[in-house]
Formats: sequence, structure tokens, C-alpha cells
Amino acid sequence: MNLSISPLLALLIFPGGLFILFVGLAYEWVDRKLIAQLQNRIGPRWFQPLADIVKILAKEEITPDGVSPALFNALPVAALAAVLTAALYVPMAGMQPSFSFRGDLIVTLYLLSMITICIGLAGVNTIDRFSVLGATRTLTQLFSYEAPFLLALLGPAIVAGSWQISDISAYARGHWGLILLTQPISFIVALIGLMGKLELPPFDAPEAETEIVSGAMTEYSGRGLALFHVARDAELLIGLTLIATFFLGGIANPIEFLLKTLGLLLVMAILQALFARLRIDQTVGMWWRFGSILALVQILVLVILKSIGVL
Amino acid sequence: MANQTKTEKFIIPIGPQHPALKEPGHFEFTVDGEIVTGATARLGYVHRGIEKGCEERNYIQDLYLLERICGICSHVHATAYALGVEKLANVTVTPRAQAIRQVVAELERIHSHMLWLGVAAHEAGFETLFMYSWRDRETVMDLLEGLTGNRVHYSANVLGGVKCDITPEQRDAILRGLDYLDERMQYYMNVVTSDETFLGRTRGVGVLTYEQAETLGSVGPTARASGVTRDIRLESPYLVYSEFPVKVILDDGCDLLARFVVRIKELFESSRVIRLIVDNLPAGELTVRMPRRIPENEAVSRVEAPRGELFYYLKSNGTDMPERIKVRTPSICNWSSVVVTAIGHKLADIPMILAGIDPCFSCSDRSVQICSASGGVSKIWTWEQLRQYGIEYYR
Repeated sequence: MNLSISPLLALLIFPGGLFILFVGLAYEWVDRKLIAQLQNRIGPRWFQPLADIVKILAKEEITPDGVSPALFNALPVAALAAVLTAALYVPMAGMQPSFSFRGDLIVTLYLLSMITICIGLAGVNTIDRFSVLGATRTLTQLFSYEAPFLLALLGPAIVAGSWQISDISAYARGHWGLILLTQPISFIVALIGLMGKLELPPFDAPEAETEIVSGAMTEYSGRGLALFHVARDAELLIGLTLIATFFLGGIANPIEFLLKTLGLLLVMAILQALFARLRIDQTVGMWWRFGSILALVQILVLVILKSIGVL
Repeated sequence: MANQTKTEKFIIPIGPQHPALKEPGHFEFTVDGEIVTGATARLGYVHRGIEKGCEERNYIQDLYLLERICGICSHVHATAYALGVEKLANVTVTPRAQAIRQVVAELERIHSHMLWLGVAAHEAGFETLFMYSWRDRETVMDLLEGLTGNRVHYSANVLGGVKCDITPEQRDAILRGLDYLDERMQYYMNVVTSDETFLGRTRGVGVLTYEQAETLGSVGPTARASGVTRDIRLESPYLVYSEFPVKVILDDGCDLLARFVVRIKELFESSRVIRLIVDNLPAGELTVRMPRRIPENEAVSRVEAPRGELFYYLKSNGTDMPERIKVRTPSICNWSSVVVTAIGHKLADIPMILAGIDPCFSCSDRSVQICSASGGVSKIWTWEQLRQYGIEYYR
């Protein structure tokens, strides 16, 4: 679909603003509900994530001692702003991206990393020991999955010969079988990398509640916590959209969008329910020993295939 | 002085309130990055003055008070106490009552170990195993409820016997429940010994060698997972453990994995013994008459709780109230092993190591000593004074 949306509308309603917030919350609900069902629980009601956000927003915001208040308040806003900006460059719900330029793939990926960096900074900003430890783990984890994740998303870009998301999307729509056939490793690494990015189990060591309470966000309450929470939900949605666009043959219309992203979410939910939490050293070891090398091998294979003219 | 020059110590406090702890306790772990270099434990947040309370109540009331020391292994406390009082009063309980006590005790062991399996899985971030094991634990909770009428504090014991019988219908229900549980336990055994991510968190973690376990006086599954043969059910059989003996489960893995394996194997063993007893239940009365006043004497009673040896010392003075009751719970014997094994491990392993001994905080917090810091006089308080002190303290 090719609809032109006025820039202001794109920023505030679709795909940048309200749309992504609400759909992000809905996806969080789907994720929680699926895991609950897999674990033989009932799970939350459909409005639970929204109710959580409304409740946290209404809570008193406490600025703890020993923090820089400006940074403490600005970081959640920066995180959410970065994620919402990233939403403008992805083909959300099958629409053309609102903004597009050559190289927007790289910009989008960096915008998506902003939230992790903001959470890490928010952790080291406070003097709470759980926060500092959580921030250390968040940033350690960032360095482990970021490179493989980037390399994995690079695969389709190399094949399509473009760094522009809309170009890659158009290419993927025509060649989805070829992409899945030639780069299954990229697909898996990207999906698991997204789980690492979102700190979902088994990569939830940075916020392992039985060890360090809530990790970097321990000191946050009220608005700051809510903004981080919403930002993470939005990141989930954007990440799923990107992967569906690149590896599952693009997204042509809203129904395709729903089917593909929810299918990916189901796989992610199963993976989340299947494993015990990895220690941070195990996470780093796994990513650098297997994730990065596999992703590099994949890129190598793609470059060779492209140079001999198969792709 | 060496300690004072190291001012850069980074201490992670766990507790008194912490998501990893289900009960209040305080631990300070000195960490170097993620590696733990020192550990201290401080207990005493849930002292309830139960031992003192027992001295101001009669023997029958004490049975119910002592049962409330622990919400998980309530039956063994009541059993240990009842066995002690019966010894003081020179009363022999009928074999049928003994057998029923043992059935409830072993069912309770199943419930306790399954609860532990869930908690330990939760500490490892393995929520699915947590949810599954607690769902299946409902089966044994239902059996206990059907047998005694209660889910937590069963109150199956009375002084001189038991209050509930096992009817043929209940026997069938128990056998059906155990069939289901056996199947599930086999499943958990497979998960625990074959799931790679879980093995990564348990294999080689929290190693407590045979020598350490002996020196530190570890008890129960914690000791048995280090190869120490220590089980009161075999060493000094009580109830009908001599007629229906259990096999001691040993493992020389010494690590967390061994503690998982030992506890799950004990589930099979408990299930086997329960089947044996309910199929060969001795005939006889449920209770015998107990005197109200117990002649002056003292007695020691030891039973094997799910967590290890439970020790009761009772002193009577000829009235209907005991002179002194001293309880030593298994958790208190195992605490030192945590402090020793934690050092050198990663911080992420600490909740697992803590959970590995199956700690029960409120079990540990019973003794209290009021001494002034300057080494002043220790004083003996009455129950009323102690109560008043508590009220004033928390005002």
C-alpha cells in the first residue's frame, strides 16, 4: 500500500506515535499470554499492559539521592523518542515507511540501540548497587548481541544491494524463498538477537529479579519506568516488523503484517518458555563463540554467492 | 588493618527484603565484578518466641504451636514433638497410628521437595519448570487435604496417636495420585539432567566436598548430595521406618546438580514407601490414652525432616506444661555451607546456591539471647515480658 501521510500525522498518530504505543502494548499482552499458556498459567487479561502503564504513570515519581536529576528524567524520554523515531523508517503495518533515505537501515538499528544505552546510563547514574550491576550487565550484553544482530540484518541488505529499508523490503517481497533458503542463519541470529536486545528470557540476566531486583531500572518509578516500559514494547514491535520485512518476504498489507509478526512472536514466546536464564558470561560466550561466527560465515557465503552471480 | 586498606569493597546486600528471598534474611556478598569474594549471613528477622511460648502452654496446645514453626514441614515438627512427649510419658503408640504418621510424613516430603524444585527453578530463571512443578505439587496437596482436612498445617498428630484414618477410598486416591506423580517426577528428572541451559547453571556450581559437608555438619539432602550417609530414618529408625525402610539416596556429584538429583530420587523413594505402607497398613486403634501431667524427665527426639535432621529436646517438670523445649532445625545446620560454597562463584549463581540447601528462615529463627554488648548479665525473660518487648520494639 502506498498512502502518503502528512508528517505531523506520521509523528503523532501513525506510525510514529499513538499507533505504535498501543500496538506495542497489545504485542506485549500477546507475548505474556502465550508464555502463560505455555507455562500452564492463565495469563493476563487483554488490557493488562495498558492498565499497568496507566497505573505506573499515575504513581509518584521519586528521584533518588545521588543522581543527576536532569539525566534521570531525560533518559526515559530519550529512549522512547529514539524508538518512536525508528518507527518512522520501518514499513509499519504494511505501509510505506513515512521517511526514507539511503542508509536508513543503519540509522534505524542505531536508534533501536539507543534504548539499551539509555537504560545502561540510567543504571550507572544512580548509586544503587543493583542498578549499577544491572547497568554493567546491560552494557555487557549490548556488546555481545549487537554485532551479530547487525551482521544478520546486513545479509538481506547485501543481497538487495541497498541500505534503504524500503528497497530491501521490495526486494524481499519478490525473493522471500531465496532469502530464507540462502540465509537461514541470519534469520535465526536476528530473531535471537532481538530477544537479547529486549532482555527477554533466557537473556534476562541484566534484570534478573532473583539476583539484582530490577537491574538498571531498580530506582525508577512512576513516569520514568512507564516510558522505559513503553519504549521496550515499541522496540519489540519494530524489531518484529524489521525481521518479518527482511526475512519473511516483506509486508504488503496489514493482514500480512499481523500474521508474520505474530508468528515470529509465537516462536519467541516458545523460546522464552523453553530455557533457564543464562548467566551473563554464558550469554557473552554464546554470542561471540557461536552468534558472531555464524553470522560472519553467513555473510561470507552471501558475498561468494553474489560474486558468482547466483543471487 | 589489611581489611581497612581495602576500602573499595563492593558489597551486594541480599535481604532482608529481596525478590530472591521468600522469607527475611540478610546476606552480604562482597563482589569483585561478578565474582563473590566474601559472604556473611545474618538471621533473626522472623523470631517468634515459639520455644518460650511453649513453656507457658500445656502439652496439647504446644503440639499445634510447634507445628507452626514451619509452613512446609509442619508434620515432622509435630511428629518429633509427639514422639518426645510419648517417650516422656512412657506411652507406646499403636503401629497403625505410627504407620499413618509415616505416610503423612513421606507425603509431606514429596510436597516439600516439589516446592523446592519450583523455587530453585525460579531462582535459575526457569519459570516454566517452576510453574509445572507447582502445578503437579497440587496433587500431593490434595492428597494431604483429603487425608487430614488441611493443606498446610495438617494437624494429623495428636499426643498418643493420629486423628485421621486411611480408608480404602483414600488409599486408592493416594495410589492414583502417586501414579501420576511418579510419571511427572520421571519427567522432571529428565529435564533437570538433560536441559543444557539448566545444566549450565547447576553442573559444577556450589561444590560442597565430602570433607566440607562433614566438617560443617551439613544434614539432609545437602549432605547426601556430597556423599555423606546421614539419614535419621536409617540411623535411628522411628515410627515404622524399621518395618518399611527407605533406601538412602547418595550422590557424589557434590554440586547443585547432585542436590537436584538426590531430591528427585528421594521423591521416588518416598512414593515407593508410601505404596508399601498403605498396602500393608497394620490394624489397631488410632490413639492411646495420654496422661495430662507428664512426670519429671527429659527426652531427645530426632526425625528426618525433608531438609535433614530435626532435633527436639524436651524437659518436663511434672505439670501439664513443659519446662523447656529446644528445637534445632536442619536449616540452621546447613547455613554455614552456603557461606563457604558461595565464595569464588559468580553473583548470578548465589540465589541458586542459597536455594540449594532448601533454606527455611523462620525455622532457623527461634533462639534468642539478650546480652548487653559490654558482656553484661544475661537475663531470663518470661513469655509476657518477651511479648511486651516485641510490642514496644515494633511500636
